[in-house]
Amino acid sequence: MAHIRISSLHKYYDSVHAVRGIDLDIRDGEFTVLVGPSGCGKSTMLRAIAGLENIDSGTIEIDDEVVNNLAPGDRDVAMVFQNYALYPYMNVFDNIAFGLRARKFPAREITARVQAAAETLDIVELLKRLPRQLSGGQRQRVAIGRAIVRDARLFLFDEPLSNLDAQLREGMRVEIKQLHQRLGKTMIYVTHDQIEAMTLADRIVLLKDGSIEQEGAPLDLFERPVSRFVAGFLGSPSMNFLPAKLVENGTYLGLRFADDVTLALPAAASQRLASRVGQDVTFGVRTEHITPARDGELDDGFVDLLVTIDLTQPTGSRTYASFKLAGVAVQAELRAHDVEQPGEQIKLQIDMNRAIVIDPSTELVI
Amino acid sequence: MSVPRATAAVSEQWVGGPFGDSRFKYFLIAPALFIMLSIALFPLINLLVVSFQGISIIAENKSFHGILNYQRLAGDSRMWKSLLHTVGLLLVALPIELIFGMAMALLFVDKMRGRQIFVALLVLPMVIAPIVAGATWRLMFDNQFGPINQIIGWFAGRDVTIVWLADSSFVWPAILATEVWHSTPFMFIILLAGLAGVDRSQIESAQIDGASAARIFFKIILPAIRPVLAVAILIRALDLFRIFDIIWALTRGGPGTVTETISTFTFVKAFEQFDTSFAAAVAITVVLILTAVTIYALRRIEIAR
Repeated sequence: MAHIRISSLHKYYDSVHAVRGIDLDIRDGEFTVLVGPSGCGKSTMLRAIAGLENIDSGTIEIDDEVVNNLAPGDRDVAMVFQNYALYPYMNVFDNIAFGLRARKFPAREITARVQAAAETLDIVELLKRLPRQLSGGQRQRVAIGRAIVRDARLFLFDEPLSNLDAQLREGMRVEIKQLHQRLGKTMIYVTHDQIEAMTLADRIVLLKDGSIEQEGAPLDLFERPVSRFVAGFLGSPSMNFLPAKLVENGTYLGLRFADDVTLALPAAASQRLASRVGQDVTFGVRTEHITPARDGELDDGFVDLLVTIDLTQPTGSRTYASFKLAGVAVQAELRAHDVEQPGEQIKLQIDMNRAIVIDPSTELVI
Repeated sequence: MSVPRATAAVSEQWVGGPFGDSRFKYFLIAPALFIMLSIALFPLINLLVVSFQGISIIAENKSFHGILNYQRLAGDSRMWKSLLHTVGLLLVALPIELIFGMAMALLFVDKMRGRQIFVALLVLPMVIAPIVAGATWRLMFDNQFGPINQIIGWFAGRDVTIVWLADSSFVWPAILATEVWHSTPFMFIILLAGLAGVDRSQIESAQIDGASAARIFFKIILPAIRPVLAVAILIRALDLFRIFDIIWALTRGGPGTVTETISTFTFVKAFEQFDTSFAAAVAITVVLILTAVTIYALRRIEIAR
């Protein structure tokens, strides 16, 4: 068990400022996911915590001990690599036992521990095989086995599932989550896949250009993004963004689009945005908040809109339908049979309570 | 049952090539094959034939002499000594080149400032022809004007006049130094390529596992570069067994026959003494030894995979 404290961490690769002053506390036993697009510094951070990467300034503390100058082997951490990094000339047993042998464990304990780890991961019958005789999923298990056998205080995962096919990835995701629940260890997990981040994390740290854009519980980030970047990164399909102008609209405010369509904002948003009337803004709404309008009275904060569907993408349980609003393509999430053909007209409702308004000059949610 | 299967196999063979004629490919490789045979196989067969004849400077006796030449070489102590010199040099020079080459490769495998320049400079000796390297080092070892004696003199504090290439106790170290200087870059560059191919994350994984540098080297890096290492050793061993230029340029096998190797011995026999059939027998023997070693080594490398 371990808690991590990172303070004003900086890392340069030659002239590239890869990590720009990150402060982060990770609590004991927490499953933290570092997520972001490639080049955001997430892997660099993980490698810095592991000790594989020197840092240019700042401190990394594990259990209140500054580990900046500690060799990777002395930090008592375990790491699972993207390509598994199994030793190709050793069988599975020797692969898992490698770390214990390096730390001079007695032979009997090595056998017992490897056996226990293999049982946990259901790979007992593979112990005598070489890595090249294993499937991708089995290699992944061995890599995890190598990490858990040492009983390290901190587990690091560097995109461990990205080399697996989609189906296997889902299965391993569940297993990693179960592993975390069973071991209760502090785990830090790096991925560029927002679904993995959402499903696994106790806490997501969303990085962009070497800085933390937002951190918090997965649903917190999903429902209350601080910026256009966070709103667009999380969620699939991506959030819809449209340019609009903030205008007076009766009692409350409204958003006017290029073709003079105006959508009314609910009371709370109107109050918050009152000082910005007349400004250009970006309107953001998720696909699942644009749904077929029900008959009768609209709920509070909902607006309705008659649109012509251009394109449908059925996924089975849901159909994603595109239409144009003020010349911009917008996706709505409909039930499977709401629209059968492109070209059909349909009345949709938008939940403006869940929509966000962004200041285009700062890209921040206002 | 076997009849239809045979028919199927034949028809597949016939439809195999884009020209519909599977024999066409043999016409395509025929010219290359002819050249290969005429410059490699024909001389070898001729060599074999000559080694059973009695051709020398005094007689062009082409009658069959049986294994007379081979009996002569088996009893020729100068031949045995030259073979011993060859193997001795190989056994000393190869490990030194290997260790130096590995040390340099390990030093330069990590990215660092000016690495490309250093690597290019270190590889320079390799681009010099061995005969030129030998000639250069002969001047370096010159007892009066050579810089080697001069440099040793600075440290010794007095004039040093070691006659490197004529003193039987200094001549082998001189040859060894030249050979190591000239060939270590080869080991270096091959091993550098091998090390660059080692999966970096395996090493990092081992570091996190707390493995010492020695354990990582012997358990992770060495097994990973083993095929490369084996090929490098094989190539260098064959080169060293055939060593000629450097020794010829430095000492011509002298003083006396102190530094005679199997290649210089064969050269002297064939082209200075014109004991042609005898030299052919020596050459055939060398070919047999090297072929046997190479086949054995290649099998071992295959098994290691």
